[in-house]
Amino acid sequence: MNDVFLPDIAWLADVCDETPDTRTFRLRFRDSKKGEDFHFHPGQFLELSVFGYGEAPFCIASSPTRPEALETTVRRTGQLTDALHKLGEGDEVGARGPFGNGFNVEAAHGKDLLFVAGGIGLPPLRSLIWNVLDERSRFGNVTILYGARTPTDLVYKQELNEWGKRSDVETHVTVDASQPGWTGAVGVVPSLFKKAIFRPESTLAYVCGPPIMIRIAIQDLLALGFKEEAIISTLERMMQCGIGKCNHCAIGHRYVCRDGPVFNYGQIRELVE
Amino acid sequence: MAFTIEKKAVTRWLEKLLESGEMVAPVRTSCGDVVFSTIRSAEQVVWDFPNPLHPPKEFVLPQTDPIVKIRRNGQHHEVEAIHDGTRRFLFNARSCDAKGIAFLTRMHEMEPADASYLRRSGNLTVISLACATPCPLGFCICTDSGPFLSDSYDAQLTDLGESYLVEVGSAKGEVAVSEAQSLFRKATEDEVSQRNRLEVAARNHFGEETCHFASAMRRISTGRVPDALWEKMGDWCLECGGCNLVCPTCYCFSVKDLGRDGTWIRCRLRDSCQYAAFTLEASGHNPRAQRKDRMKRRFFHKVSAQYYTRDGTVGCVGCGRCIKVCLGTTHMPAVVAAIRKGKWHE
Repeated sequence: MNDVFLPDIAWLADVCDETPDTRTFRLRFRDSKKGEDFHFHPGQFLELSVFGYGEAPFCIASSPTRPEALETTVRRTGQLTDALHKLGEGDEVGARGPFGNGFNVEAAHGKDLLFVAGGIGLPPLRSLIWNVLDERSRFGNVTILYGARTPTDLVYKQELNEWGKRSDVETHVTVDASQPGWTGAVGVVPSLFKKAIFRPESTLAYVCGPPIMIRIAIQDLLALGFKEEAIISTLERMMQCGIGKCNHCAIGHRYVCRDGPVFNYGQIRELVE
Repeated sequence: MAFTIEKKAVTRWLEKLLESGEMVAPVRTSCGDVVFSTIRSAEQVVWDFPNPLHPPKEFVLPQTDPIVKIRRNGQHHEVEAIHDGTRRFLFNARSCDAKGIAFLTRMHEMEPADASYLRRSGNLTVISLACATPCPLGFCICTDSGPFLSDSYDAQLTDLGESYLVEVGSAKGEVAVSEAQSLFRKATEDEVSQRNRLEVAARNHFGEETCHFASAMRRISTGRVPDALWEKMGDWCLECGGCNLVCPTCYCFSVKDLGRDGTWIRCRLRDSCQYAAFTLEASGHNPRAQRKDRMKRRFFHKVSAQYYTRDGTVGCVGCGRCIKVCLGTTHMPAVVAAIRKGKWHE
């Protein structure tokens, strides 16, 4: 029987700023064997410990196709994330996982893929995006629609540029409010739907972002002709244990940490609060 | 298998058990309250007592439960799971509380099994005392958790006047009896029938013969409880969380590191689904910001068919503690009655 709450020790191989309050942490397990044995799916999450503060769940933002290190992108918003942001290269954290169901990558083979992300909702999709780009020939058209409040709030700016330059990906980025120097689109994320052409019958749409953005994006996708099962989101809930025991993330008798966090819209509609 | 032990020999049995492990039993405090506590001598155990306000779940799932030891050593950290391997006897637990512990054990056995809890429960021998006279607020007859038990105990005692009938329900119970085998004799058929008559009499003490959980379950499981009723009941709830804290089957928790200066104990701390912060997300969004939503959650978890199917029982052992602690009268029987009748008692 495993000690389900015992974290493994990992160290920060790199820390980089994404926005004034958001950083990406690159982790390696201290025990390299653990690193080699650590397999995950895009959309799964880690319980990350900041020793002395406790632990909290964060999605894995890197792709399983790049297993040399795990990345997670965290906004500084409370006691634990504040303490995490104070850590630097070489500092140690604890990690348990991976947890949750994750995205079914194989089910997306041969399909067109549409990624719709807002703000800090891009990190869980980034894991899947890189997985798809690293196995590009297995998938149809790939479209990425992303937006944030301001240009400063966009995460992965360099990668957005990189994706924008690729001919095998269509990328559109928008901001709610422009800033000096911004030459891109201005408007909410769903306003980007009109910039791209989709085949709803053969496309899977992955939507992640603030609740209001998810709601509007799903409405628009349904109106465009997407089926409920083809609209996939990752749900955000307060979580503690990651293994369906503490009950914080329960919705009805389902647990976001164990039955989710990835649900299609049909499943989301069946969840009873 | 049933045995009999003379009342005057029980002290010697307890002394024997005290030699081989820690003993938890109801004791009377200097203020007159009865509480479950670790005892040092057999004389401390009380036999005629109102069920303590706090159930003995503290001894399998402590309020502050140490699960991982963390030590900083320079730039490095060492972590180690904390194992509580203490052999314990829980003596004179009431039937509802024995059922409560069995429920908690089932919850922690679910995959992935929780070794920290199961080590503690695996080392615990529950010796329950059947209730010949049900307690005034108890409704264990509705939840199949009393007044007498047919499972969920390691040994069950029944007061036969001059002696106790001791039913053995598990290998741990067998060991507890064999620790002082000479004090026991095999129970006679008469003694077993006397126990059965006492059980019938105890059951007859409960006035009403109808269990109302089923009709509440139908409505809760199918979302047919009007929102206005949840709202009304939510208005009466003072969100103190007392119901969760005294409930033998509640096990929600949060995790926090306690300690300082590089030495911490990661603890599981009991939490309450009735607190607004229970579902508050880092973004500030709270899916259960209103009291009615939190109350709905509590009763869905305890009474819905969805959870009944998963857990095999309702999440209630009918001990009546929530009736005692609830300042707003939104306890289990009142809410079940309101859902059945479609209106709050006012």
